[in-house]
Parts: sequence; C-alpha cells; structure tokens
Amino acid sequence: MNPQRIGVYVCWCGSNIAKIVDVEKVARVMARIPGVEVSREYKYMCSDPGQELIMKDIKELGLDRVVVASCSPRMHEPTFRKTLKLAGLNPYMLEMANIREHVSWVHENQELATAKAINLTRAAVHRVMVHAPLVQHEVPVNRATMVLGGGITGMTAALRIAGQGRKVYLVERSDELGGRAIGVGRAGPHMNSVAALLDNLTTRVNDSAYIDVLTGTVVGEVSGFVGNFLVRLANGTRELTVGAIVVATGTQPFDAKKLHRSGYGRFPNVVTSTQFEEMAASGRFTTESGKAPRRVAIIHCVGSRDSETHSYCSRTCCMDALRFSNILRDALPDAAIYQAYSDMRAFGRDAEEFYARTAERDVTFLLFDKLLPPTVSEAPAGDPYPLLVTMDEIATGIAIEVPADLVVLMVAREACSDAKDVAKLVSISVDKDGFFIEKHPKLDPAATTTDGIYIAGSCQGPKDIPDCMSQAGATAARVLAAITMGKVKVPATTATVNEDLCVGCQTCISVCPYGAVIYLDKHRVSRVEEVICKGCGTCAAACPAGTISPRHFTDNQVLQQLEGLLAAEEG
Amino acid sequence: MSRRLDPTLPARLREMGLMDNSKCFNCGHCTAVCQLTEEGFAYPRQDIRMLQMGLGDALTERVEPWLCYYCGDCTKSCPRDANPAEQMMALRRYLTAAYDWTGLAWKFYTSKAWEIGVLLGLALIVVGLFVVPHLLHPGQIQWEPLDGGVAVSSFAAVSWVHLGDMVMLGLLSFLLLSNIFRMGRRILGAARVPIPITLYLSEAWHLVTHFATQRRFGKCNDKEAYWVVHLMLMSGYAIMFLLVIVFLSSLQTDVGLNWTTLPGYFATFALLYASAYFLRGRWQKSAEVNRYSTFSDWLFPALLFATSLTGILMHIFRYYLTWPAGTYVMYVIHMAIVVPMLMVEVPFSKWSHLAYRPFAIYFANIRSKALQAAQKTQPGSLGVPPAVSNALEV
Ligand SMILES: Cc1cc2nc3c(=O)[nH]c(=O)nc-3n(C[C@H](O)[C@H](O)[C@H](O)COP(=O)(O)OP(=O)(O)OC[C@H]3O[C@@H](n4cnc5c(N)ncnc54)[C@H](O)[C@@H]3O)c2cc1C
Ligand code: SF4
Ligand code: SF4
Ligand code: SF4
Ligand code: SF4
Ligand code: SF4
Repeated sequence: MNPQRIGVYVCWCGSNIAKIVDVEKVARVMARIPGVEVSREYKYMCSDPGQELIMKDIKELGLDRVVVASCSPRMHEPTFRKTLKLAGLNPYMLEMANIREHVSWVHENQELATAKAINLTRAAVHRVMVHAPLVQHEVPVNRATMVLGGGITGMTAALRIAGQGRKVYLVERSDELGGRAIGVGRAGPHMNSVAALLDNLTTRVNDSAYIDVLTGTVVGEVSGFVGNFLVRLANGTRELTVGAIVVATGTQPFDAKKLHRSGYGRFPNVVTSTQFEEMAASGRFTTESGKAPRRVAIIHCVGSRDSETHSYCSRTCCMDALRFSNILRDALPDAAIYQAYSDMRAFGRDAEEFYARTAERDVTFLLFDKLLPPTVSEAPAGDPYPLLVTMDEIATGIAIEVPADLVVLMVAREACSDAKDVAKLVSISVDKDGFFIEKHPKLDPAATTTDGIYIAGSCQGPKDIPDCMSQAGATAARVLAAITMGKVKVPATTATVNEDLCVGCQTCISVCPYGAVIYLDKHRVSRVEEVICKGCGTCAAACPAGTISPRHFTDNQVLQQLEGLLAAEEG
Repeated sequence: MSRRLDPTLPARLREMGLMDNSKCFNCGHCTAVCQLTEEGFAYPRQDIRMLQMGLGDALTERVEPWLCYYCGDCTKSCPRDANPAEQMMALRRYLTAAYDWTGLAWKFYTSKAWEIGVLLGLALIVVGLFVVPHLLHPGQIQWEPLDGGVAVSSFAAVSWVHLGDMVMLGLLSFLLLSNIFRMGRRILGAARVPIPITLYLSEAWHLVTHFATQRRFGKCNDKEAYWVVHLMLMSGYAIMFLLVIVFLSSLQTDVGLNWTTLPGYFATFALLYASAYFLRGRWQKSAEVNRYSTFSDWLFPALLFATSLTGILMHIFRYYLTWPAGTYVMYVIHMAIVVPMLMVEVPFSKWSHLAYRPFAIYFANIRSKALQAAQKTQPGSLGVPPAVSNALEV
C-alpha cells in the first residue's frame, strides 16, 4: 500500500511531557520508520502555531496521514481531526499516542519513560498506515417529542418544549395526569398546595395546542434512532414519529408488607405515608376503633437505607414526616407525636428551619441506628394502646417501647416494577435499584447513553418536586437544542456486517447494548443501524462467524498497532 | 429491659416550674463543659434527653441530677438556649417528688396554695399549742422580769418543748428516711446485681463527709464563695440541731448567758448570713443559678431568714431588755415559723436536697462497687459497660 506519507508530531505539552520524556529522541526514532515523511517535536501541538505546523506540512509535503503523540485523545482528538479536515485530509487519517497520561504523568524514570513513549508512538504509526477514510453522515430530525409519563416532571417538560412551539405527545399509562403527587395535600417546607400546583399544570397541558395528551396509553414498541423514532402504541394501531423521547415514569411506593417488622398488613393501625395523606385530605384522623389517635409514632426509612430492601435514601420522606407531624399537631393538639428517625435529611432551602419549628411543637424525636430499625408489635393485653414500637434509642442508649394507637410508615420510593421493560424499550440502562442511568451524573444529567433518549424526574432517583421541576426544565432545554438544528450527525465509527458471510444466528442482536442491530427476515442476515450504533465493538467480538467489523477498529488495524508496539527497538 | 415512654412527663415537669424542654437538640455541649461530670456519670445531656422522651421511670434510677450543683456553666454554653442547668434543677424537684410516698412534695411543688396553706395551718397549730393551755389554765405565766432574764419556762416548760422537739424529730426522720430508702431502692435496683451488705458500711464515711461539707461544690468553677456559704449554712444547722435537740435545757434557761451562747451566736449569724446571701442573689438574679427561681426557691431562704431574725429578737428581748411579754410573743412567732418550715422543707422540699445529694453519692458508689464485684466474679456476663461501674471521684 505504500508509498505512504506520514507526519509524526511529538508534543512537549510545555514541561508536562518534556520533563520526563526525551521528545527529541522520540521524534528522531520515528523519522527512521519507512513511510514517515516528517517527524517533529513542538512545545504545544494543540496551540494555533502547532496546528498550523501540521497543516503546512500536509500541504507542502503532501502528507496523507498524521500521528500526534501528546495527551489523551479524549482531550484533543477532535482538535486534530479538525486540523486534518481544514488541511483537506479525511479526519480519520489521524492516530494519537497518549504519552502524557500514559507516560509522563505516571512514570519517573526518564529512560524507561522515553522507551515507552517510543513504543506507543511507533504503534500509532503502524496503525495509521492502515487507516481508511470514513464519512460522517447527517440525518434529518423529526421535531416532535414523546414524553413518557404524565407526572409533575412529564407535564413540566412537555410544557417547556411546547412553549417553543414544538409538538409533544404526552403518554400517560393511567387515566389521569399527575402521578404520585395526586393526593399529596401540601408540600413541605412551605406548605404549598400540591393540588393547586397539579391543577395549574394539567390545565395548561390540556389547553396547549402543541401537546397531545394520550392518557390510558402504553407504548408497545420503539424503533428507529435519534431524530427518527417510530413509536407504536400498545392499545391500537396508532404510531407516532418523534425525534426525541423524554422518559419521566417516576416511582412507586415500597410495599411495606415485605418488612415483617413494620407490622404493615398485620395490624390495622399501621398505615403508610400514602394512606396518611388520604387521612389528612379527608381531615379525619382515626384509629381502627374510630377514635382520634392519642399516640402517633412516625417511623422513617421504611424500605430505605437498609440492607434488606433498598440501600439508598428516598430523600423526600424526612420532610414529609415533619410535615405530617405539623398536620397532626394542628388536628390533634393533645396527641403525643413521636418520630423515630435515623438521620434527619433536612437539606434544601428552609428545610432546617422547618425542622426546628416542628421540634418546637411538642414532637418527640427518637433516634435509631439504621442497622437496627424499630419493630412494630401488638401490645400485651390490657395495655391502653394497641401497638408497641420497640427500638434502641441511641441518643440515650436505652431500649425503649413506645405505646401507640397509630403508626405511620414513611415508605421508600422505588423504581417502578416495569422500569427494566421501559429501559429495554428505549435502550437505556438501569442501576442496581432500577433507576434510569444518566449519561454523566454531573456533566450530562438529563441525557442518556442512547442519543435522542432523555430522562427526567424521580425515575432517575427519588426527588422532591423542586428537583423534578429543575430536571424537567433541563431536559426540555436539552431536547430543544437537539431538535432545533433539524439534523443530527451520526458517528462514522460504526460496525458493519458483511452480509455475504453472516449466518443469521443473531448473536449480535442479543449482545448489542444499544439495540442497534436489526434482523432482515427476507435475507436472513443481520444489519447494523448505523445511526444507532455506538461502535462499541461488542457484536464484533461475539459474532461466531467473524463477519462484523467495527469501522476504525478493524482486526487489521488493531493487529498493526500491536505489531508496532512489539517491533524491535530501532535505535 | 425496655423502658416505656410516658409523654406526660415533660408537662408534669413544666407544672413544677420547668420553663421549656423542647429546645435541646442533644448536641452534648453542656456535658462537655460541665466541670463535675466524670466517666460513667455524664450529664446533663442524657438527663435532658430522657426528660424529653418521657423516661420518667428510668430517671428515678439516676443519681446524676444530684451531682449537679447548678453552677450554670452548661447553660452559658448551650447553643440552643435550652437552659440545661434549669432542667437539672427541675429534675431534682421531680426526683424529690418521685421519692416521696406521701405525695405532699408533688403538691408543694405544683401548688403555691398548698404550700402556703400547709405552712399557715401548721403555724396556727403551733400558736394554738402555746396559747390554748394557758387559756385553759390561766395564771401560770410570769409577767415580771427576773434578775438578768425572763422566766421563759413559766410560758413554755422545757420538758414540753423538748417533747415537742422529739416528736418532730421522730416525724421528720421517719419521713425523710423513708423517702431516702425509696431513693436507694431505685438507684441500687438499677444495678440488677446483688449488693454485698458490707458495702453499705464501707461507703458510709463518704456519706458523712459529703453531708457535712457538700464538698463536690468546690469543684465548680468560681464557686468557692458559694460553697463557703453553703458550708456556713450546714454548720449553722448542725449546731442549732445539737443545741435544740440535745442541749435544750441549757439553751432555754431562765437566767443569764451560758456556754451555749457563743455557739448559738455563731450558728445564728451563719444562718442569717447564708439566707440573706441567697435572698440577695435571687433578688438580683445575677448568677445563672438564680435566673429561674420558683416560688419554693424563694420560700426557703425567706423562712430561714425570718427564723433567724425572730430568734435574735427573742434573745434581745430576753437578756438585754428583759421584757417578758415581748419575749413570749416572739417565742411563739419564732416557733410558728420554724416548725412549719422544718416540716415542709426537710422531708419534701429544698432542705431535703441537702440530704439527697450525699445519699446519691453514697448509693452511686455502692452501686458501682457492687457492679465491679459482680464483673470480677462473672466477667463479661453482665453486659454492663465499664463506665457504669466507675466509682465517683470523691
Ligand atoms: C406521599 C408522598 C408525599 C410527598 N410529599 C412531597 C412534598 O411534600 N414535597 C415535595 O417536594 N415532594 C413530595 N413528594 C414527591 C413528589 O410527589 C414527587 O417528587 C413527584 O410527584 C415526582 O414526579 P414525577 O413526575 O417524577 O413522577 P411520578 O409522580 O411518579 O409520575 C410518573 C408518571 O408516569 C406514569 N408512568 C409510569 N410508568 C409509565 C409507563 N411505562 N408508561 C406511561 N406512563 C407511565 C405514572 O403513571 C405517573 O403518572 C411526595 C411524594 C409522595 C409519594
Ligand atoms: S429522606 Fe429521611 S426517611 Fe426518607 S429514606 Fe432518607 S433518611 Fe430515611
Ligand atoms: S458496535 Fe456496539 S453499538 Fe454498534 S452494533 Fe455492535 S454492539 Fe451494537
Ligand atoms: S453474530 Fe455474526 S453471523 Fe450471527 S447474525 Fe450477527 S453478524 Fe450474522
Ligand atoms: S442542653 Fe444545650 S448544650 Fe446540652 S445537649 Fe441540649 S442543646 Fe446541647
Ligand atoms: S449546672 Fe453546672 S454542675 Fe450542673 S450540669 Fe450544668 S455545668 Fe454541670
């Protein structure tokens, strides 16, 4: 395939690389490899003069491929690809050797470090010899969006997107919009009416000309890729074409029956936080015997922060418990109110003050170790109260029993039982608890690893209303940015199936984490949807016939790289 | 054994004058600054927490409230203005009422009307005891002065007064000791191990020295003056006790001063000075300890002051003015103050604290040593944390 004209550029990175690696020697050694037309070192390759140096050589010396030995490609591969493109070369004719993170930052011995830098750069030179030009496609984007889940988050995201004049399909499984917030009376710490909030959202959603509300609707199948999803609804023949999908399917309450010690399901006077909300809404607090309760014990972390059930904190229940104490105190001035807690999560604005104010209303806080949560049992015959809550109170070190006639369990909020199915439907991942995983927890919390699929609200992890609102807004902004361009770039480094050799075993389909491989019934072969494929290479490794080749990571390219790495020292 | 919570406890303490029990968030700052806490005896945080939670029953097993001498250091450093020192004071009232089987202590702490009513009632009885016999058998009183004195015995025969003293001593001892017995049963019962009888004897000397000196007080910061005054008070009590109970016939003679005069003067001065000191402090509310005085906190020094004053007046009328009528009247007034004061204060109120404090130390040390002994014979079998078996520093 020669003659090739390769340019090698070794970077000093100021003193970052040069103080450990003898960059001049690296450049000298590379110059001797056949095919290397020019080999230089320079203080900062990524700087404008550095890039101009490369462009000048490409033009003047007629280089057809480039190796840059510098920092991690994560950092500057896009930079140098652009340099090549500006100079008229295909950007994929670049290979980088990482001699900073992999060499100068992690080694102290200059001689050995230089030898390693030489090996890595030589591997890059050998690899670039077999690079092939690749083309990055652009696909048009459908500007409609589907929002899955009509809770506070879903409605808010839909309104924000519709506010920019974009079509939204709001798909809600139940017959009503509102989600888990339905029935919640007031939201702490400011005691705003949740009903009023929901009313505001639902009215605006229903009134919006851009939002198509589809309640009582379940999605059957999602196919396609970013910008071009085809959504088939399970209840009929209707199909939606959308460019982006926002998943906002929320949470479900933990079933306290699973914890024997909670007493739930065994004693009628043990209720969950949801049931308590119903009592509060009716304004009638009663025990099983129809009387007003006189001793109420509120137990935190039921199903949360616990090795048997969920290890995470459900985040809203501490404040809910404080709110419940206030509601109880208003309704029952003489009742004893206990809160058995293991840490008070009073974060966020005004929450700590809310806690302090609640404590002044004759609420008794009892501290337990989260490894030893309280147990609810039946009181012995003759006791004035039907229930006993027993626990080790760790602020006093005393084992106590609390007589109670009403026990409120602050149950965990867990991922919906069908979260895994939803994740599969749209090719995203769930964590060990069933919550959807974002692309990056800090840098990109609203997107997922699948282009065009976004998440928002409590389906990503328990959140209170303000956090749900914020993320809904962030997600909407992310969606709008993606669809407004009207087109998306799809990566060029995708896998391809040599359909002549494919035996149709569909192993690739079962392993692909992104659902990028489809099976062509007619031809009995698999085909990679390039717009979806991330080029991860999993299918290529799994294919028993060896017919899948990931572009830019072909067997030949990898072998050449190895050969370069292992080649004898050339001086 | 788990302890049952009683939500009515804080309200009951508030009835006894506790200001507020909700502010404390259990940081433990107070315990850290308290000069008197030691390993195994940490307070006041724990006691305040138990109060908040309604662990009234478990509190009666604790000696810690008696180890606190109300210096106020904790209150000054509390980040929540929860006033821990005052809460400890309230707990001492609670414990006094809890030990008392008659229920009178509770009545006195919660009702001014009860306390004043009983004091006045007793005063009337005393007046009656002096006046009624003379009304029935008139002509016995000598209204003329003697040479260098007054014929007090013609008004109040020493034998009768002595009998009255003895009856009162018996009654007070019975009430106080029965309450102390109940206190000991609670504190020692908490050890849940057998108590070797010998310990009661070997620890007894602590009881005597603490009772006489209240010397833990001296451990507080800047409290030396306070402690000296307390010491004066104690010595005044002790001397007066001996004079009245043992040497009444020498104290109450009809003529002339005798050997009892000097110690009597000292004791009177000590009681007058101490009560005036406490009253002044309460009035000025300068020290932390005095910020939240309740009615009963006032009453005791006030009565003590009045007792000393009437005693002095009587003495002046008798020896220096030799004025029989004034002497007799002052005698009755003096007795009408001192008898109700002792009957109310000794077994039920402030004065009983002077007895409970040393007994608390006594019982605590017996309990600790019993636990140590039990741990030695059956190591590890008790599940008792080592701190609990620490003896108090004395
Ligand atoms: C008892 C209780 C009290 C609370 N109190 C407070 C408070 O005081 N303050 C506060 O800030 N927050 C509070 N919260 C939390 C608040 O309610 C939530 O933060 C909020 O409701 C979450 O909204 P969401 O839209 O993310 O999820 P959800 O409300 O759970 O909504 C999800 C929606 O998606 C739908 N859905 C699920 N799966 C699918 C599917 N596969 N297809 C179609 N639709 C689907 C569901 O039917 C639901 O309507 C409380 C929550 C509870 C349970
Ligand atoms: S928010 Fe509070 S009650 Fe809820 S899981 Fe977290 S710590 Fe427990
Ligand atoms: S390379 Fe990865 S993403 Fe692409 S088809 Fe193969 S397995 Fe799927
Ligand atoms: S694994 Fe290979 S042979 Fe099997 S279907 Fe996929 S491409 Fe074809
Ligand atoms: S009384 Fe004050 S210092 Fe002591 S634990 Fe409570 S808040 Fe802290
Ligand atoms: S008042 Fe003084 S002795 Fe009592 S607990 Fe506070 S710091 Fe300790």
